[in-house]
Amino acid sequence: MIERLMNLDRRIIFLFVFAGVAVPLLMDFSFPIKPTDNVRAVYQQIEHVAAQKDGKVLISFSYGGGAAAELQPMARALLRHLFAREVEIVAISLWPDAVGLAQAALKGMADEAGRKYGTDYALMGFKPGNSVVILGMGQDFRGTFPTDNFGASTDTLAVTANVQSLADFDFVIDLAAGESIDHFWIPYGQERFKFPLAGGCTAVMAPDLFPFIQSGQLIGMIGGLAGAAEYETLIGHADKATSGMRPQSVTHIIIIAFIVLANVTFFLSRRRSANTTSHQDLA
Amino acid sequence: MSRDRYLFGGLILAFVALNGVLLGSGRLPVNWTGFGIIVAAGLTLLLYSFLYKDNPLFKFAEHIYVGTAAAYVFGQYWFGGLFGMVIEPVFMKEDIQAYDKWLLLIPTLLGALMLTRFSRRWAWVSRISFAFYVGVGAGLTIPRYISSFVLQQIEPTLRPLSLTMEGFDVLVILVGVVSVLVYFFFSVEHTGVVGGVSKVGIYFLMVAFGASFGYTIMARLSLLIGRVSFLLEEWLRIPLTL
Repeated sequence: MIERLMNLDRRIIFLFVFAGVAVPLLMDFSFPIKPTDNVRAVYQQIEHVAAQKDGKVLISFSYGGGAAAELQPMARALLRHLFAREVEIVAISLWPDAVGLAQAALKGMADEAGRKYGTDYALMGFKPGNSVVILGMGQDFRGTFPTDNFGASTDTLAVTANVQSLADFDFVIDLAAGESIDHFWIPYGQERFKFPLAGGCTAVMAPDLFPFIQSGQLIGMIGGLAGAAEYETLIGHADKATSGMRPQSVTHIIIIAFIVLANVTFFLSRRRSANTTSHQDLA
Repeated sequence: MSRDRYLFGGLILAFVALNGVLLGSGRLPVNWTGFGIIVAAGLTLLLYSFLYKDNPLFKFAEHIYVGTAAAYVFGQYWFGGLFGMVIEPVFMKEDIQAYDKWLLLIPTLLGALMLTRFSRRWAWVSRISFAFYVGVGAGLTIPRYISSFVLQQIEPTLRPLSLTMEGFDVLVILVGVVSVLVYFFFSVEHTGVVGGVSKVGIYFLMVAFGASFGYTIMARLSLLIGRVSFLLEEWLRIPLTL
């Protein structure tokens, strides 16, 4: 038995993980989701911006299809909140493959809230250069993005007509799958032009960003699908992230069970081999 | 024919039959949207077939992904960069002043010089561009990074200690930073007090790696959840509970 467990085919583990994901998606049960302080800080900053007249938020989409499962629900939850509170949104992309995802999220949430392109929100599209784009926006936003994603002049869009630089935004959020928050937005944007910055990131990146919250360089952070689920809880609209927490939790239990099983099996096999060796020595 | 060939052949036939049923029953629309969903579902399954073992169907899907992604990224760079920032303003827009057009040609020329790397005879010309790039890059990066990653990070590490939970947090951070720095200080032999402090640093590092690995598992599972949700909800049209 121990030998069989020690040589367990990894595909059996894959099957367990697949079942742990698929079955909870089809079943109706839930785990409590308690928003953390870091996610709550983002929510409260948007509420603060909404309380101002003509509050404006810049969202940078810096992820591709590979991270869409984590960051697209986050983007939808944030946009749903912003549109509901009638905050003006300007979206840009520092990743070439984020434009389509940004467009889908913006259009979906704007249609749901009855908001109009040009007056309530705008998508400026992709510009290569990362740090150079951020520095450019800080000095001359309309020079960096003279037209939107569809070729319309930035001057003719009501939502961008009065934007001169990054300082004109009340809040900046970077949704990132790479290093854009800590390597570009913090040093070249927040540090230099002094605006409130928050990050929405994949779970892999979250541990690297905690020091920037502690130092106040980020006012808040939404980490991974769990962070997106927390944000959905705060706005009171359960969506993909909340439903994703059931399989997430169940699969974590399965993985923990396999880790415990592997360790118990390992120690049992080591004890057995030690006993066998001592018996051979006696013989 | 090997067992795997029968297995994969059977799965392809099952996939075709299932899509026929989905289209025939009207669960999937007979239009480009429906076709897109079928292609996405098929490629997802082909890529996950690697979990069974490496196979030609996985390779096929992998190559399609690489090719499509490269073309998409090229398109975005072309329209967002070369076309949108150089060709259109210089040659196609009449409302831009001649001075601004000439100004645009300077970075364009510097960029073009980088392409001389492909010629052995003219490769030295590219050094002009690289010198400019490295100089500007270093000038921009060094002060920004020192400010963001050193000065701004030292300040919260050295906050005054107090008998509150925040004070305890500061103490943990202080002990963690000092002990890990000692662990990576190799000029002194790690024995005695230094050895003890460096061992504390190892524990801090292990906790950090464990937290990082836990987050990584969560991230990878989120991707799987995204794909399985897509297969169940959008392809097979099984309603998921919220």
